[in-house]
Amino acid sequence: MTTTTVTTVPTTKSARKRPIGFYIASTWLGLMVFLAVFGPFLPLPTWNEAQFEFLGAGPFSAPGHLLGTTNDGYDMLSGLVNGARISIFVSVVSVTIGGLIGGVIGISSAYYRGKFDSVVQMVFNIMLSIPNLVLSLALISSFAADTDEQTATVARRMTVLIFSLTIVIVPIVGRIARGSALQWSNREFVLASKSMGTPNLVIIRKHILPNVAPAMLAIAFLAVGSVIIVEGSLALLGVGIPGGASWGSMLATGRNYLEFSPHEVYMPALAIAFTVISTNYFGDYVRNHLDKRESKI
Amino acid sequence: MAGTGKAHMRPDGDVILTVEDLTVEFKLGKDKIVKAVSGISFDLIRGETLAVVGESGCGKSTLGKAILQLPKPTSGSVNFLSQELTTLPKKELRDARPAMQMIFQDSISSLDPRLPVSEVIAEPLRVWNKGNQVEIDAKIDELLNAVNLDPAEVRDRRSYEFSGGQCQRISIARSLTLDPTMIICDEPVSALDVSVQAQILNLLQDMKDRYGLSLIFISHDLAVVKAVSTRVMVMYLGKVCEVAPPDELYRNTKHHYTKALVGSVPIPDPDRPIQAGLIQGEPPSPLDPPSGCRFRTRCPAATEKCAAEEPQLREVAVGHFVACHHPIA
Repeated sequence: MTTTTVTTVPTTKSARKRPIGFYIASTWLGLMVFLAVFGPFLPLPTWNEAQFEFLGAGPFSAPGHLLGTTNDGYDMLSGLVNGARISIFVSVVSVTIGGLIGGVIGISSAYYRGKFDSVVQMVFNIMLSIPNLVLSLALISSFAADTDEQTATVARRMTVLIFSLTIVIVPIVGRIARGSALQWSNREFVLASKSMGTPNLVIIRKHILPNVAPAMLAIAFLAVGSVIIVEGSLALLGVGIPGGASWGSMLATGRNYLEFSPHEVYMPALAIAFTVISTNYFGDYVRNHLDKRESKI
Repeated sequence: MAGTGKAHMRPDGDVILTVEDLTVEFKLGKDKIVKAVSGISFDLIRGETLAVVGESGCGKSTLGKAILQLPKPTSGSVNFLSQELTTLPKKELRDARPAMQMIFQDSISSLDPRLPVSEVIAEPLRVWNKGNQVEIDAKIDELLNAVNLDPAEVRDRRSYEFSGGQCQRISIARSLTLDPTMIICDEPVSALDVSVQAQILNLLQDMKDRYGLSLIFISHDLAVVKAVSTRVMVMYLGKVCEVAPPDELYRNTKHHYTKALVGSVPIPDPDRPIQAGLIQGEPPSPLDPPSGCRFRTRCPAATEKCAAEEPQLREVAVGHFVACHHPIA
């Protein structure tokens, strides 16, 4: 027999055109992350110091305040930058922790099956049946509520908020990870790997995890978006981060002055909207892009 | 027909694998047990190619996996290279695994789409910490050359860039990495087109001679089986029907089920009258197999004796065993 020639599908790397939305979404997300990280070092007015000469100034109308000021005289731009810091920190931290826990539980329950898997499925279903807003509200009002004597500290609020959002993320990512891992665990290369004596943990690390990761990454991006929205909703209900810090809290304060300074509402609202749309788009893109090699078979 | 018995065992030969009374059952909810393999016994002599044939769902693949203890069989014994695998502790079982490898029907699904070919083949070596990078690279090139793939061209590609036949070559190369004694080939060519089938069969034959392998070749295709095997075992619904060398089996068919299987091999002759209705209907459910001989519900020669008594394998010619109360004369 002679050596067979290998004809292959053109490599995926060459000349692939990314859609314009990809660039817009990644630019926006990149900008938000940059602002969140380097915000405090930018030459901006202090976000929580009132500027009494400008109260409720519209965008581009007050010198030194590019996006205007709030009705109380706070600088809009530095408020938004600080909001990005809080919103993105809260959502990224809770999605990372929740995603890791959910991923580990989901993948191992799919790989080992049996009773453990049934219990995990039941717990996930119960967790998913609790509305996340209600859960967060309940947790915050039990563990980090303002009392007559003292107001809850920012750190305590933030910890409980992140904890409650993490609980929400675990079953969402966990179910996706389980479903995907279930499918990959039944593939022949896993059986082949078992038959050559590969330990289970090595199989999971080498064969299951890399194949499940795209689906988990995609859902994680979607989750960042929804967590930002949940955090905003909680702030509107009065249990967000105290002190008007996050985008949601800015909205909550701003709606009191809707008729005097509407930009105080629509600017944080737009920031939330753009960020959520971008993470959703990015999540979809990641999934479609990374699944390509599979769908090509 | 489909019966039990051990008359066909050859304890005097250079036996590397002895399977006795192997049963595999799967629980499907309450009181529902699928008897995929019920009491199969056979042995494999060094250098032999044992073909296991039978229609879909007769338990061929389950048998192959049960030999590898993936999952462990419900009962029975699997003795491989003088080690009883069914009772072996986890660690020793792992140590025994390199000597027995498996090749699967779905060759593309047999390879991890995320790994380049070089890593696919190197995986067993890495798992067992064998050799440094230079030795591993040399081994990869040697094996790729052995299965007629150009190492320089394929090393860095991934499975989705290859055809089914090429993937099967890579799977074969991987199965050879740990110098196995026995390879279980589970329908290795069924998903490939005919021209590629011949290449893969020749390759398996070459590898068998070159590396001194013994093969268990699971297939439903009697034409393929005839080309590769030294001994054929016909299975029906988890039981053995007939065991014989391929030429003897085709020339001197004794079992009614084997006759139907042989008759269903298409013969490329347009003037040949169509043979219809060799056997009718579907195989019975393995949830509730028939009493006595399992083939009796579809057998043209079935009598009351077949329902009452399970036939045992007995020798009808030299090396030819059949489990039937009324074998074909």
